[in-house]
Amino acid sequence: MAAVLARCLVGAVFVYMGCVKALHPVEFLKMVRQYEVVHDPFLLNSIAAALPWFEVVCGALLLAGIAVRGSALILIALLVPFSWMVLHRAVALQASIPFCAIRFDCGCGGGEVPVCRKLLENVFLVLLCGWLLAGRGRNFCVRYRLI
Amino acid sequence: MNKNLKCPSASGRRTELKGILREAIVVAAAGATLAFVVNAISPRGLTLTRNYFPGATNGIVSAPVLSPITGIKQKGLKWLDGQQTLRLFDDPRYLQHLIVFIDARDGDQYQKGHIPGAYEFDPYYPEQYLATVLPVCQAAEDIVVYCDGGDCEDSQFAAVTLRDAGIPNQKLSVFVGGMAAWTTNGWPVEIGGRNSRNVRKATS
Repeated sequence: MAAVLARCLVGAVFVYMGCVKALHPVEFLKMVRQYEVVHDPFLLNSIAAALPWFEVVCGALLLAGIAVRGSALILIALLVPFSWMVLHRAVALQASIPFCAIRFDCGCGGGEVPVCRKLLENVFLVLLCGWLLAGRGRNFCVRYRLI
Repeated sequence: MNKNLKCPSASGRRTELKGILREAIVVAAAGATLAFVVNAISPRGLTLTRNYFPGATNGIVSAPVLSPITGIKQKGLKWLDGQQTLRLFDDPRYLQHLIVFIDARDGDQYQKGHIPGAYEFDPYYPEQYLATVLPVCQAAEDIVVYCDGGDCEDSQFAAVTLRDAGIPNQKLSVFVGGMAAWTTNGWPVEIGGRNSRNVRKATS
């Protein structure tokens, strides 16, 4: 039952975060740009256009209990590099203030947040997704395994 | 008990992993399809081939010590401080439309309050505004572009977009302090649409 609740929590979080970003594509585009990972306009625009919908789709599938492990894998593939980029940017912004005092809008859909809180949240989400990937949360699924 | 029921073989695990990967690929394909379809049909969708940050220099965004003025200069633009901007606002030529103010923020921000008489021009959706703004800018002698102020670069991108659309660079200036500086100084703010006549002194 705990795993089912975890599945629903992760699903709801990503549906919400994805919708917030999907409804404001320009704002999200600006956020993606600030990480300076991609400079090519086509790639930058494609990431900004597509990434929120990946979150919405994976989140919705987790809520419904469809393709659970595939969705969890995709969310881990999104969370891990994104968390690394948040950490990297926080280190770049750190001057004379304590690391955990740094706040910025990471583009996740939650507005400006303390970087430590965001990193801890992401670690927690990765662990929950890992738990689902390991095969938990099979109850109350529409179609646990898609293929 | 058959231990094989509890301990899947290596080939079984590989098969399972392949199944998860295939599932992830299908989900990713579904997500990508939905994303690009919605982006294509949404009026707020992004034009994938457009450079939304014209004139931007790579490696600048995260540099905390780079001032807005440096960014403006790097784009070959002129900049104005608050007093210079106010002088242009009070200039009789403003009423003759020989001086034009361009608000480079989004529609919601514009409606909440803008410099009186300023034209709305969201640089991320220029096609919605160019038909109105371009002729006005072509007829003007001086064009002041602004956004929020601070580290907001949208005014710079708007100015570059206008320049790329044929407006001579010497006409264009960027008000560095933006709306933040304008309201902090208590200068008049127009609420709603352009020339709505709903003008009030800004409260800081």
